[in-house]
Amino acid sequence: MITRDAVGGLAAIGLGACYLYFASQMRASSLADSFGPQGMPLVYGWLMLGLGVVLVLQWLVATSRSSSETRQAAHADAWRGQGRKILRAGGLFGLAAAYLPIVQTLGYLPSMALLTFAVALYLGAPLTWRPVAIGIGGAIVLWLIFVQLLGVPMPRGILSAFGL
Amino acid sequence: MDTILASLPYLLEPSILIAAMIGVTWGILGGAMPGISPSITMALLLPFTYTMEPTAAIVLLASTYIGAEYGGSVPAILIRTPGTNAAAATVLDGYEMNKQGKAGLALGISLYSGFIGSMIGLALLMLLSKPLAGVALAFTPPAYFALGILGLSVIATLSGDSLVKGLIAALLGLMVATVGTDPVTGSNRFTFGSSDLLGGIEPVMIMVGLFAMSELLAQASKRDDINKIRSRPKIEFPGRHLAKRLIRPQLLGAGIGSFEGVMPGAGGTIASFMSYNEARRWSSKPDEFGKGSPEGIAAPETANNAVAETALVPLLSFGIPGSNSTAILLGGFLIHGLQPGPMLFQRSADVISGLYAGLFVAIVGMVVMGLAMLPICIWMVNRPRPYLNAFILALILSGIYSIHGSLFDVGIMLTAGLVGFFMRILRFPFLPTVLGLVLGYLVESNFRRSLVLSGDDYTVFTNDWISLGLLTVAALFIAGSIIKRAAAAWRRDERAAFSEGSEG
Repeated sequence: MITRDAVGGLAAIGLGACYLYFASQMRASSLADSFGPQGMPLVYGWLMLGLGVVLVLQWLVATSRSSSETRQAAHADAWRGQGRKILRAGGLFGLAAAYLPIVQTLGYLPSMALLTFAVALYLGAPLTWRPVAIGIGGAIVLWLIFVQLLGVPMPRGILSAFGL
Repeated sequence: MDTILASLPYLLEPSILIAAMIGVTWGILGGAMPGISPSITMALLLPFTYTMEPTAAIVLLASTYIGAEYGGSVPAILIRTPGTNAAAATVLDGYEMNKQGKAGLALGISLYSGFIGSMIGLALLMLLSKPLAGVALAFTPPAYFALGILGLSVIATLSGDSLVKGLIAALLGLMVATVGTDPVTGSNRFTFGSSDLLGGIEPVMIMVGLFAMSELLAQASKRDDINKIRSRPKIEFPGRHLAKRLIRPQLLGAGIGSFEGVMPGAGGTIASFMSYNEARRWSSKPDEFGKGSPEGIAAPETANNAVAETALVPLLSFGIPGSNSTAILLGGFLIHGLQPGPMLFQRSADVISGLYAGLFVAIVGMVVMGLAMLPICIWMVNRPRPYLNAFILALILSGIYSIHGSLFDVGIMLTAGLVGFFMRILRFPFLPTVLGLVLGYLVESNFRRSLVLSGDDYTVFTNDWISLGLLTVAALFIAGSIIKRAAAAWRRDERAAFSEGSEG
């Protein structure tokens, strides 16, 4: 039975190990104090590693104390539907990440309209005139706030010739 | 008295008035949206504060917190869904009053009690913060290090079910705080050759990612419908007779809320439920509780609004954020180069006076905007979630980009959002991460400076009486929390053994 604690503990061990590796690669400068720039990172890395091990040990102890039926029920209960949830969240994350390269090409206004439209559809809005209108309207509202009101120079793309 | 006199001129400052009114309006709207907590509402505003004058920026964020605490009661009363965690206790009697056709009165009691709780909280904030910060001039690097440790010790009470998970979450924040230039030698750490990481990772990126972006990802993974508000109530304030009956639960709520607010890690939810229980215990009509008692709304609403002000006491006096919302407010201070804590009252007294004036305006504004915003709140709560969340995502991406005009920052925020999403799934708390992030620099730089100044003598931390006192308090805090957890675990084990035995 792999519980959330076990996954969390293993993730902490992995993170602690990677962090420790990079911390140990730091070169101490001749100007450094006795503790040095790598001192705290090494402490944090070992602590992360140690706490990850504690979490995994807690899981092992809890598993050994429970019956196999309880373990199976807990496993099914803990992870039921999680794969679908992660995939759905991953889809939204993908849309947000795709905005980064798109905004450099298309510019702020069109890519924001596209993003709002796509995200609304992805989150379950029906394909009617509404998500299109909200995408365009929302992008214009944000462009007015950030570019016109706050004077933020947002990325310019294909519409730069029009001053947008 | 001096504090009040120093704050008076700021009541006529247009930037403070505007910031307070916008903040409280935004807070009411955000608080009214189920799933959007006060901290998320505040986090969405953080990027906008970059371009603002520091006092107005802090007032904007603090006013949002106040507005959100009232806003949370609107869906709690109308659709039995608390807009914020702290409004959960208001559901018990608020929704019952709604079913009896008294939704307007329930909302009026909530608004009126929120006003009372906020005013009492503000008075205590003004009374307590400065004396507590009065030891400022005696602070040395060891004392600052000990202060950071005291701040981190709050993690012991903020870690939920697992202290180990809380500590791992805190270490994650401490690790992120080490990215960038080393505070003593100036050498680069964990920058991997990227010039974008030389200045470190600003807490605002991580906060917006952890709180707001991860919430959007979590909502995308659920996609369940929320209830719609069908009624169109008008706010009705209690009459003289009812107002007299509400005095006792309001005083109980204000007392409990103020105490819980000053204690880091306690928060509005605990205060609300505690004051609800105490109000029932001391009520002349305890049987009405749970069936639409006005006292059952007055006590928790006074308490959670008192918390919104008194939670600023540990933040302003010691730089210790005791809740998610005050952590975001701390982020707002840091954005403007202000470090809350002992020296804030010495170096930036104008910001503090402006904040007090802004909070007063926000509390009065809460009543005005609470009345005016009810139809808009109802309209907002009824909007389809896909459009609302799409717009919030667009707002977050635009806001983060606007800080430095950098898509790298947006990438950092998205990464923090993804980490936050998995932290939610694996049930790791967020606040320890934020505490580690904002206190990491303070702890490391003062620890190493102390050693340099003392010639690597570790007793410097126990020879300084302030440092010794703070470290002792931190140790007591951690020990108390561990003992409490051990006792709770032992009681659970006893119950589990009994139930297994009886089933067997």
